[in-house]
Amino acid sequence: MALKVSRRTFLKGAAAAGGVAAASAFLYRNLETLAGPEGEARSSAAPSEEWVPTTCWIGKQDCGILARRIGGRVVKLEGNAAHPRNLGTLCPKGVAQISALYDPNRVRTPLIRTNEKGIPGQFRTASWEEALNLVASKIREAQAKGAKTVIWQKGRSKSGPLYDNAFTAALGAVKLHHGAFCSDAGYRASEYTLGLNGVLHPDFKYTNLLLSWGWNITAGGGNKLCWITFPRQLVEARERGMKVVHIDPRLHSAGPHADWWIPIRPGSDLALALALIHQVIAQGSIDRAYLVNYTNAPFLVQEDGTFLRLEGKEQVWDEGSGAPRPYDAPGVRPALEGTFQWQGRRLRTAFQVLKEHVQGYTPDWAASICDVPAEEIRRLAKALAENAQIGATISLGGKVLPLRPVAIHTYHLAQQELGFQATRAMAILMMLLGSPGAVGGQRVDFTWKIHANFQKFGEAKLANPPYNIWLENSEFFPINSNNSAIVALALKDPEAWKVDKAQLPQVMIIHMSNPLLAFGSSQDILEGFKRIPFIVVLDAWISKTADLLADVILPASTLEKYEGPLSATDQYVDAVALRLPVMDPLGESRGELEIYLDLAERLGILDKFIENINKELNLKAPNTLPKGRKPTPREIFDLWAKSQGLSEGIAYFERNGVWVKGEIPIAQQYGYAQDPPFGGIRHRLYGESLLLMQRQMQARGVSEIFWRDYTPLPTWRKPTMEQSPPQYDLYLISFKLIEFKQARGTNLPLVAELAPAQRLWMNPKAAKARGIKDGDEVWVESHNAVTGQTKRAKVKVFLTEAIRPDTVGLPHHYGDIARHPWSEGQGPGAAELFFTGPGYIANTADQSFLVKVRVYKA
Amino acid sequence: MPRYAMTIDLSRCMGCRACMVACKVENNTPEAHFWMYVFRFEEEEYPKTRVWFLPRPCQHCDNAPCVKVCPVGARYKRDDGLVLTDFQRCIGCRYCEVACPYGVNYFHWKHPDKAQYLDYTDDPEVKSRTNNTMPPYRNPDADLRYGPEERLTAGAHHYRGVIGKCTFCVHRVEKGLEPACVANCPVRVFEFGDLDDPNSIVSQKLRTNPHFRLLEEEGTKPRVYYLMGNPPSPEVRQVMPVKGGKRG
Repeated sequence: MALKVSRRTFLKGAAAAGGVAAASAFLYRNLETLAGPEGEARSSAAPSEEWVPTTCWIGKQDCGILARRIGGRVVKLEGNAAHPRNLGTLCPKGVAQISALYDPNRVRTPLIRTNEKGIPGQFRTASWEEALNLVASKIREAQAKGAKTVIWQKGRSKSGPLYDNAFTAALGAVKLHHGAFCSDAGYRASEYTLGLNGVLHPDFKYTNLLLSWGWNITAGGGNKLCWITFPRQLVEARERGMKVVHIDPRLHSAGPHADWWIPIRPGSDLALALALIHQVIAQGSIDRAYLVNYTNAPFLVQEDGTFLRLEGKEQVWDEGSGAPRPYDAPGVRPALEGTFQWQGRRLRTAFQVLKEHVQGYTPDWAASICDVPAEEIRRLAKALAENAQIGATISLGGKVLPLRPVAIHTYHLAQQELGFQATRAMAILMMLLGSPGAVGGQRVDFTWKIHANFQKFGEAKLANPPYNIWLENSEFFPINSNNSAIVALALKDPEAWKVDKAQLPQVMIIHMSNPLLAFGSSQDILEGFKRIPFIVVLDAWISKTADLLADVILPASTLEKYEGPLSATDQYVDAVALRLPVMDPLGESRGELEIYLDLAERLGILDKFIENINKELNLKAPNTLPKGRKPTPREIFDLWAKSQGLSEGIAYFERNGVWVKGEIPIAQQYGYAQDPPFGGIRHRLYGESLLLMQRQMQARGVSEIFWRDYTPLPTWRKPTMEQSPPQYDLYLISFKLIEFKQARGTNLPLVAELAPAQRLWMNPKAAKARGIKDGDEVWVESHNAVTGQTKRAKVKVFLTEAIRPDTVGLPHHYGDIARHPWSEGQGPGAAELFFTGPGYIANTADQSFLVKVRVYKA
Repeated sequence: MPRYAMTIDLSRCMGCRACMVACKVENNTPEAHFWMYVFRFEEEEYPKTRVWFLPRPCQHCDNAPCVKVCPVGARYKRDDGLVLTDFQRCIGCRYCEVACPYGVNYFHWKHPDKAQYLDYTDDPEVKSRTNNTMPPYRNPDADLRYGPEERLTAGAHHYRGVIGKCTFCVHRVEKGLEPACVANCPVRVFEFGDLDDPNSIVSQKLRTNPHFRLLEEEGTKPRVYYLMGNPPSPEVRQVMPVKGGKRG
């Protein structure tokens, strides 16, 4: 614990302590100071000053930047006031990234490995010519062996249309997502349930009660916007009167912005959501009109769990005729609840099935599982019902819309074994209250465009083996988030996972990613990826992955490149931006787009790449790229800007940085305001196709561990980690610090100085019981309840009263992220202690960042 | 003549420390020097724990202890309220550092080029991108004499053997800009303005919000006002302190 010091001195904080030193006689001249420009007088006669707009390179939300250039030299990065997301401000990483421009530790030339893989690399410098020819020849060799032997691992891709789509399609590469690290189970649950791509976030302009569930609202932002925008909207909403219920084992993730902290036991979120569903139904606080008209709640479910279909159409119980009728029949009056006998069959509405399903999930039942008093759960359910104002409407933009100002903000919570179903249960809770798509209600994406997965997941089609390297549509994971940790397991044992031998990767392109630290189980990733014969890494530094695994490193630039287009919306204003080079790239580094254009030329796929760019960027004649000639990145974005209707082309962005198109019309903002509402789909309260997938998995003899969570309604079971022996008496959770939220920010000295070393967050009571004091070095040993395997890492302890006593936490993005004086020796990465594989991944192949551990003094 | 003051809204702060970094880049402060510092505090015990944050720049006191103890008149208070340091007069005695109850003074032990974050030994590739010079940027504005006093301010150049501290970004204020911490804060915790102007944002904030100043009982009369919240009690625990340097 921090030392208690007197009031007079404690405010001195970080100031150097010490008594009075002998006065140094530095008098009026020759003071040693920063070196100025050579030959330049120290005066205010500064050379030319200019402000160059660009877009941040670090985080995921791409904030607008103005680079101050003096005499051609970038001296400071400030926020662009015109950018809706950051309004002239920047987060610590955004400000600090100026050091990346001049970092002497950057990779400045292509590097070719000269020693074996799996150990720190020895590299020789090479010309672009040599390095690209080598990469091209390896790709050609691989493709001669099989069409799908080149895989592309993305990290934070900054131009989906150009990299993920146009280039990889031209190359015929198998794409690996940056994936499960980022709550993809939550994305899949939202796509499945509401048809929208995202996790859950509020309508900050109108939400009155926000459940900040398991995620960093103040240090992490949200699933769609990483920082600045959501925290700013949160502050404004709280000043308007919005209340925040923070459901998280750790308080720092909301800090003073939590009005009510519910320190839930890790991994029990599904149980709490089910108890809230139980309680909301018991209270009768449900939005019947929404459930009947826009969800499958009134659909009739047969005894076998499938919907009653007549002539291929789902049926509801028509209260008018007292018989089943198609749900969309004119004049039909569907019953929301009830059990009906019809032609000797027992039929229940999906809502009735849910009601019976949650009968035992009472607040008292959940209290012991979640370690949250039953009374508190009842109080929360009551607050939800009161704030939902079911039946209320509001007039916005000339439309009368339902007002349901309650919402959940969740994101990385999905990174747990039960993450898919936990997120689904949260969505169902909001559905009962009528919140999705209402004003102040539940949002998921910035658009109500229905994601292709909504239909796909509804079809419940499983592919026959053999499978591709990420087990797409497989019997193991019919819904699959493309998690690289699973790829690593499949690489280690292709037979067990029924992988097509002809598709085993020969070449891997790692695009601005550091999989050894980004995915669960660094060890599995290392062992798996070592089996790929040739790996090329595009990065600005020698990342740990590059150090241990790269055959070739291609030096990528940071802010010194063209990239985009980048969304700039804050969810209320529509805007788009580009990343523009603020100076010439350091050394021989180059933007990824240029690298891919060169590589495409060498591979003879340039025309295909250009054709794909024309399509993906929606370039319109006469502003399309001609084939047969390698375009410059500036030319590509110029044509894109012109195709978007900006007659001056890229010059518009070179002047303004961002194109603000104006307020998003109400008609596009709310699900209810769509025509037809919610894009014409029925939200899936009941997941019939999950049950169909489960039955197919069972029929194929797949182990229960894979199919047990494919249930039509979220069903509680104890997480696998609870089977670890009792000496593993603590839960390990992981999270992110605002200073350190992105791996590519950790090499920035100014942010590394703020959080220079890994610390195990631990409650003082738990520490005392183990004889541990603040700052002590300890071993954290994790246990895999399925395989019995253990792993341990040594780390210093940080004692905090803001975490549950049965829980310890490690922030991500430590673990010697790259060869850099500021990131080497920072301590272990959280991913070193987690496990990958059955029991530690969700049913949708997403990584779980939860495990039982024991902690003892080192 | 304006009477400058800063307000800091504790109900908004998220403790992100972007202001610390914005200050560092604006003022080129060396390793482990934090002219702006953000405390992360915890109070009480689980599960009643409270977490909150408190940014602390120089308080620019009206009754500044640092000005009083300076034996050579290097530390001075301007008519507009800014407390600054004439680096040519400073003899490096560090009396100000001891006298200040807020801990905002940092002594330059090292040559400032050697106390910077990356080793910029003469590097032709870097130089070719930086107008033939090496980082960090030596802002010429920091050498100027400002105000009716026409005095030096010990801004961003960090002379070895003298004291440095927050200047409220005098070189920006003189141009009509906000201090860097104020301008950059993503959740608008800070405001800066003229107490004598009833329409200034700081006057408005002080009229409409409860506020306090740090260690008011010391009689220092700070020009930094904290809105909402309460002064930290002696029971408050600082967590996640930033000590500076690579393994701080």
